[in-house]
Amino acid sequence: MPLVVTSALTKRYPGGVVALDSLDLALEPGIIGLVGANGAGKSTLLRILLGLLPPTSGEATVLGHDVRTAGTTLRRFVGYMPESDCLPPDTTATDFVGQMARLSGLPAAGARERAAEVLRHVGLYEERYRPIGGYSTGMKQRVKLAQALVHDPRLLLLDEPTNGLDPAGRDEMLALVRRTGTEFGIAVIVASHLLGEIERVCDFLVAIDAGKLIHAAPLHEFTERTGTLAVEVEEGAVALAAALVAAGITATVDGRTVLVELEDERPWDLVRDTVADLELPLVRIEQRRRGLEELFR
Amino acid sequence: MTQAEGASSNIYDLGYQGYEGPRLGRPAVAFGLLTQTLRAAYGIGRGGRAKIMPFLMLGLSVLPAILAVGIRALAAQAGAGDALEEASPIRHDTYQNLTATLVMLFCAAQAPELFGRDQRHGVLPLYFSRVLTRIDYTLARAGGLFLAIFIISIVPQLILSLGAILAAPDPLTGLRDDLPEIPRYLAVSLLASALLGGVATVIAAWTPRRAYATAAIIAVFIVPPIVVALMAELAVGDLARVLVLASPSDIVDGVNAAVFDTVSPNPTIVAAGLPGWTYIVAALIETAACVVLVLRRYLGITA
Repeated sequence: MPLVVTSALTKRYPGGVVALDSLDLALEPGIIGLVGANGAGKSTLLRILLGLLPPTSGEATVLGHDVRTAGTTLRRFVGYMPESDCLPPDTTATDFVGQMARLSGLPAAGARERAAEVLRHVGLYEERYRPIGGYSTGMKQRVKLAQALVHDPRLLLLDEPTNGLDPAGRDEMLALVRRTGTEFGIAVIVASHLLGEIERVCDFLVAIDAGKLIHAAPLHEFTERTGTLAVEVEEGAVALAAALVAAGITATVDGRTVLVELEDERPWDLVRDTVADLELPLVRIEQRRRGLEELFR
Repeated sequence: MTQAEGASSNIYDLGYQGYEGPRLGRPAVAFGLLTQTLRAAYGIGRGGRAKIMPFLMLGLSVLPAILAVGIRALAAQAGAGDALEEASPIRHDTYQNLTATLVMLFCAAQAPELFGRDQRHGVLPLYFSRVLTRIDYTLARAGGLFLAIFIISIVPQLILSLGAILAAPDPLTGLRDDLPEIPRYLAVSLLASALLGGVATVIAAWTPRRAYATAAIIAVFIVPPIVVALMAELAVGDLARVLVLASPSDIVDGVNAAVFDTVSPNPTIVAAGLPGWTYIVAALIETAACVVLVLRRYLGITA
């Protein structure tokens, strides 16, 4: 069953702001990155998928359930970690996550067990018996993840899970997200404006901008090799470029790097031979990958 | 993870166990939230300090009942008979008036806690992204507060009843004498808890800041009776009479007088001279209005 399907999904807020503009998506289970700048419509899309926000027009289904009519049913199978602060400071993590489990329909005993287990999985141990108010940002983010996981959902929606974390905290949170998708076998949609982070955890990428779909494809397609060969030399870049151009190849100089267009297989050998002939100090030859950032230029 | 669990799970063999147990439906989840709200209203599961205020209110509200029952038992032993009972100011029909302030203070302290907290800390998205609808959430929370208030209001009455039964020479006679009172105080407690709880809920739901909400609730219970009394003083006439029905605390006094068929100790009620049923109808209508208002709040709130 497809994880998420949307067709012509549109959300227009009162006041005329169009957050989603006729979005068509068909996503299969996996770890899916939802990237876009702030205000691109990521949070709006997640909240529509949860049935928290009604779309203005268009259709969306999650795990086969219509978000307009089957909100309570689909939310049984979906966990949500909002971007904003959402934890009461005067409650312990154990109590809070247990309460959230009960609100997802787990009976009292099962809720307690799951709360303890999930908090252990996100890496909260003794501190889970202390009130959340005293937690660090990293610990709070873990509690937010734990409450989204506590009812063993089939789909996890994470909105900027690394928000406010220091680099080490980001690494840990991203590792947790990756583990959730791989070891726990739960489909994940993670929204972020940080491409570098998304790239590290996702298999599939959905890029949106101003509510419109830019591209949706497996991650490797986003970063696939381009037709450019970058040849970095310590000196003599200009001479190298001139020699290559003389041989009938398109080459441009960019500082110490010569960018060679790969129209066919010829440049590979020619670059090697030319560098050898000119006795240039070669640093590296690499085929350029398309940067994710290019998507948003 | 035990050996047996490890053997039976072949997908999550790296430590994560899925949940295979039962999942309850919406009614059960809503009921769970209602009981959790009721417990939270008494500070249960919220740490020691949260229990002080609610239990103090509960203690103070039952105190007169316990004293009355104790004195009555002693008097009965000393052979005073029914004389003392008839003279006692602590009766089913006067109790609502005795504890009205306590019930209002309880509302002012606990409603902002129950309704403002989820809004202040942004917890609502987590509630609404689960099994419950916004309406379920609102009704469960409001129902929990209503029950908490109802307990404060009904427990002393039950103690009085119990005392009447036990102090009578023969428990059956005691029960028979007290029986007609039971539906009356039940009705008064239900209507009073619903109206006062409803008003407090509306204010708390629209005022996430706790201190403001508490002040506003106290004001709504205290200011209108003063205004109404003043209007009556100034002899504005029929307007003042009807204005009583805009004052929740006066309505509760009126309901009590109507249900027990007594003259209210509240001079405003006496001065207004409205038929008893008007207070009952006003209580019902205003409670319904509160429910509508609080539902509108939670259907419209961004979460």
